[in-house]
Amino acid sequence: MNELKPAANGYQSRTRTNVKRLFYWNGVWGAATALMAVGPKFLWNKAMGFTLLSIALDIAVGIGMILANKKYIAELDELQRKVQLNSMGVTLGVALIAGVPLSVMDAYHVIPFHADIAYLLIVMSITFALSNLYGTQRYR
Amino acid sequence: MKNRLKLLRAERNWTQAQLADALDVSRQTVNAIETGKFDPSLPLAFRVARLFALPIEEIFHDEDRRGSATNMKTGSCIDSR
Repeated sequence: MNELKPAANGYQSRTRTNVKRLFYWNGVWGAATALMAVGPKFLWNKAMGFTLLSIALDIAVGIGMILANKKYIAELDELQRKVQLNSMGVTLGVALIAGVPLSVMDAYHVIPFHADIAYLLIVMSITFALSNLYGTQRYR
Repeated sequence: MKNRLKLLRAERNWTQAQLADALDVSRQTVNAIETGKFDPSLPLAFRVARLFALPIEEIFHDEDRRGSATNMKTGSCIDSR
Protein backbone atom coordinates (compact mmCIF):
# COMPACT_ATOMS: atom_id res chain seq x y z
CA MET A 1 0.00 0.00 0.00
CA ASN A 2 1.30 3.46 -0.86
CA GLU A 3 1.83 5.37 2.34
CA LEU A 4 -0.15 8.55 2.74
CA LYS A 5 1.21 11.37 4.81
CA PRO A 6 -1.51 12.85 7.02
CA ALA A 7 -1.65 16.64 7.27
CA ALA A 8 0.09 18.07 10.33
CA ASN A 9 -2.28 18.63 13.30
CA GLY A 10 -4.99 16.59 11.56
CA TYR A 11 -8.53 17.70 10.86
CA GLN A 12 -10.08 15.25 13.33
CA SER A 13 -7.99 16.28 16.32
CA ARG A 14 -8.33 19.97 15.46
CA THR A 15 -12.11 19.63 15.24
CA ARG A 16 -12.22 17.68 18.51
CA THR A 17 -10.28 20.46 20.26
CA ASN A 18 -12.57 23.12 18.79
CA VAL A 19 -15.71 21.20 19.81
CA LYS A 20 -14.38 20.86 23.37
CA ARG A 21 -13.61 24.59 23.46
CA LEU A 22 -17.09 25.38 22.16
CA PHE A 23 -18.74 23.15 24.79
CA TYR A 24 -16.66 24.81 27.50
CA TRP A 25 -17.68 28.33 26.44
CA ASN A 26 -21.32 27.27 26.04
CA GLY A 27 -21.29 25.83 29.57
CA VAL A 28 -19.67 28.92 31.06
CA TRP A 29 -22.10 31.18 29.20
CA GLY A 30 -25.04 29.10 30.46
CA ALA A 31 -23.73 29.44 34.03
CA ALA A 32 -23.15 33.20 33.65
CA THR A 33 -26.66 33.64 32.22
CA ALA A 34 -28.17 31.63 35.08
CA LEU A 35 -26.24 33.76 37.58
CA MET A 36 -27.48 36.94 35.90
CA ALA A 37 -31.07 35.65 35.90
CA VAL A 38 -31.37 34.32 39.45
CA GLY A 39 -28.62 36.28 41.24
CA PRO A 40 -30.48 39.56 41.80
CA LYS A 41 -33.40 37.82 43.55
CA PHE A 42 -31.71 34.95 45.37
CA LEU A 43 -28.08 35.91 45.88
CA TRP A 44 -27.60 39.66 46.32
CA ASN A 45 -31.08 41.00 47.05
CA LYS A 46 -31.28 43.17 43.90
CA ALA A 47 -28.14 45.18 44.73
CA MET A 48 -27.58 47.25 41.57
CA GLY A 49 -23.77 46.95 41.56
CA PHE A 50 -23.79 43.15 41.57
CA THR A 51 -26.56 43.04 38.98
CA LEU A 52 -24.57 45.25 36.61
CA LEU A 53 -21.48 43.17 37.27
CA SER A 54 -23.31 39.94 36.43
CA ILE A 55 -24.63 41.49 33.21
CA ALA A 56 -21.11 42.59 32.25
CA LEU A 57 -19.80 39.09 33.03
CA ASP A 58 -22.53 37.49 30.93
CA ILE A 59 -21.73 39.74 27.94
CA ALA A 60 -17.97 39.14 28.27
CA VAL A 61 -18.43 35.36 28.42
CA GLY A 62 -20.92 35.62 25.54
CA ILE A 63 -18.25 37.31 23.41
CA GLY A 64 -15.88 34.45 24.29
CA MET A 65 -18.52 31.95 23.18
CA ILE A 66 -19.04 33.79 19.88
CA LEU A 67 -15.27 33.78 19.21
CA ALA A 68 -15.07 30.06 20.02
CA ASN A 69 -17.95 29.39 17.64
CA LYS A 70 -16.31 31.52 14.95
CA LYS A 71 -13.05 29.57 15.29
CA TYR A 72 -14.92 26.26 15.22
CA ILE A 73 -16.69 27.16 11.97
CA ALA A 74 -13.57 28.68 10.38
CA GLU A 75 -11.64 25.44 10.92
CA LEU A 76 -14.33 23.11 9.60
CA ASP A 77 -13.84 21.71 6.12
CA GLU A 78 -15.94 23.07 3.27
CA LEU A 79 -18.70 20.45 3.43
CA GLN A 80 -19.16 20.78 7.19
CA ARG A 81 -19.19 24.55 6.80
CA LYS A 82 -21.93 24.22 4.18
CA VAL A 83 -23.99 22.05 6.54
CA GLN A 84 -23.54 24.63 9.32
CA LEU A 85 -24.46 27.51 7.01
CA ASN A 86 -27.64 25.75 5.86
CA SER A 87 -28.60 25.01 9.48
CA MET A 88 -28.00 28.63 10.47
CA GLY A 89 -30.08 29.85 7.53
CA VAL A 90 -33.00 27.60 8.44
CA THR A 91 -32.71 28.57 12.12
CA LEU A 92 -32.72 32.30 11.30
CA GLY A 93 -35.77 31.87 9.07
CA VAL A 94 -37.67 29.84 11.65
CA ALA A 95 -36.77 32.36 14.38
CA LEU A 96 -38.28 35.17 12.31
CA ILE A 97 -41.34 33.18 11.23
CA ALA A 98 -42.02 31.96 14.77
CA GLY A 99 -40.85 35.03 16.68
CA VAL A 100 -42.90 37.78 15.06
CA PRO A 101 -46.30 35.97 15.21
CA LEU A 102 -45.57 34.88 18.80
CA SER A 103 -44.93 38.49 19.77
CA VAL A 104 -48.13 39.65 18.00
CA MET A 105 -50.16 36.88 19.64
CA ASP A 106 -48.81 37.94 23.02
CA ALA A 107 -49.60 41.63 22.37
CA TYR A 108 -53.23 40.83 21.46
CA HIS A 109 -53.67 38.18 24.16
CA VAL A 110 -54.26 35.41 21.65
CA ILE A 111 -52.09 33.12 23.78
CA PRO A 112 -52.78 32.69 27.49
CA PHE A 113 -49.07 33.06 28.47
CA HIS A 114 -46.33 35.65 28.12
CA ALA A 115 -44.19 35.16 24.98
CA ASP A 116 -40.88 34.82 26.75
CA ILE A 117 -37.62 34.99 24.76
CA ALA A 118 -36.75 31.57 26.24
CA TYR A 119 -39.46 29.95 24.07
CA LEU A 120 -37.84 31.36 20.97
CA LEU A 121 -34.41 30.11 22.10
CA ILE A 122 -35.83 26.62 22.56
CA VAL A 123 -37.40 26.69 19.08
CA MET A 124 -34.10 27.93 17.60
CA SER A 125 -32.07 25.24 19.38
CA ILE A 126 -34.37 22.44 18.22
CA THR A 127 -34.45 23.81 14.67
CA PHE A 128 -30.66 24.07 14.51
CA ALA A 129 -30.15 20.58 15.91
CA LEU A 130 -32.66 19.04 13.47
CA SER A 131 -31.34 20.82 10.38
CA ASN A 132 -27.77 19.95 11.36
CA LEU A 133 -28.78 16.31 11.72
CA TYR A 134 -30.53 16.44 8.35
CA GLY A 135 -27.48 18.00 6.69
CA THR A 136 -25.12 15.46 8.21
CA GLN A 137 -27.32 12.55 7.12
CA ARG A 138 -27.76 13.99 3.63
CA TYR A 139 -24.04 13.88 2.83
CA ARG A 140 -23.27 10.67 4.72
CA MET B 1 -19.44 17.14 -11.80
CA LYS B 2 -18.18 13.56 -12.05
CA ASN B 3 -14.91 12.29 -10.62
CA ARG B 4 -12.65 9.24 -10.47
CA LEU B 5 -11.70 9.70 -6.84
CA LYS B 6 -13.02 6.35 -5.63
CA LEU B 7 -11.26 4.47 -8.42
CA LEU B 8 -7.95 6.28 -7.89
CA ARG B 9 -8.14 5.72 -4.15
CA ALA B 10 -8.90 2.02 -4.61
CA GLU B 11 -5.94 1.64 -7.00
CA ARG B 12 -3.67 2.87 -4.23
CA ASN B 13 -5.37 0.84 -1.47
CA TRP B 14 -6.09 3.95 0.53
CA THR B 15 -9.05 4.12 2.88
CA GLN B 16 -11.40 7.09 2.92
CA ALA B 17 -10.07 8.00 6.37
CA GLN B 18 -6.46 8.01 5.13
CA LEU B 19 -7.36 10.15 2.15
CA ALA B 20 -9.34 12.51 4.37
CA ASP B 21 -6.34 12.87 6.71
CA ALA B 22 -4.02 13.61 3.80
CA LEU B 23 -6.42 16.20 2.38
CA ASP B 24 -7.13 17.71 5.81
CA VAL B 25 -10.89 17.20 5.52
CA SER B 26 -13.42 14.91 7.20
CA ARG B 27 -14.05 11.35 6.00
CA GLN B 28 -17.63 12.37 5.35
CA THR B 29 -16.40 14.97 2.85
CA VAL B 30 -14.32 12.41 0.95
CA ASN B 31 -17.34 10.10 0.83
CA ALA B 32 -19.66 12.91 -0.34
CA ILE B 33 -17.24 13.81 -3.16
CA GLU B 34 -16.84 10.18 -4.22
CA THR B 35 -20.58 9.63 -4.37
CA GLY B 36 -21.12 12.89 -6.26
CA LYS B 37 -23.22 14.44 -3.51
CA PHE B 38 -20.79 17.31 -3.06
CA ASP B 39 -18.54 19.15 -5.50
CA PRO B 40 -15.23 20.27 -3.97
CA SER B 41 -14.00 23.84 -4.20
CA LEU B 42 -11.21 24.62 -6.65
CA PRO B 43 -8.49 24.70 -3.92
CA LEU B 44 -9.59 21.29 -2.61
CA ALA B 45 -9.74 19.87 -6.14
CA PHE B 46 -6.17 21.09 -6.69
CA ARG B 47 -5.08 19.46 -3.43
CA VAL B 48 -6.61 16.18 -4.64
CA ALA B 49 -4.82 16.53 -7.99
CA ARG B 50 -1.49 17.22 -6.27
CA LEU B 51 -1.94 14.22 -3.99
CA PHE B 52 -2.61 11.85 -6.88
CA ALA B 53 0.02 13.59 -9.05
CA LEU B 54 -2.48 13.92 -11.87
CA PRO B 55 -3.87 16.85 -13.84
CA ILE B 56 -7.10 18.08 -12.31
CA GLU B 57 -9.12 17.26 -15.46
CA GLU B 58 -8.10 13.61 -15.19
CA ILE B 59 -9.85 13.39 -11.84
CA PHE B 60 -12.79 15.76 -12.16
CA HIS B 61 -14.84 16.34 -15.26
CA ASP B 62 -17.96 18.20 -16.18
CA GLU B 63 -20.99 15.93 -16.67
CA ASP B 64 -22.15 18.08 -19.57
CA ARG B 65 -18.73 18.31 -21.20
CA ARG B 66 -19.93 18.15 -24.79
CA GLY B 67 -22.58 20.80 -24.19
CA SER B 68 -20.04 23.09 -22.56
CA ALA B 69 -17.62 22.69 -25.46
CA THR B 70 -20.36 23.62 -27.92
CA ASN B 71 -21.32 26.62 -25.86
CA MET B 72 -17.71 27.76 -25.73
CA LYS B 73 -17.42 27.47 -29.53
CA THR B 74 -20.59 29.43 -30.21
CA GLY B 75 -19.75 31.93 -27.53
CA SER B 76 -23.07 31.41 -25.81
CA CYS B 77 -21.34 31.22 -22.44
CA ILE B 78 -20.54 34.92 -22.63
CA ASP B 79 -22.94 37.09 -20.73
CA SER B 80 -24.71 39.23 -23.34
CA ARG B 81 -26.02 41.82 -20.87
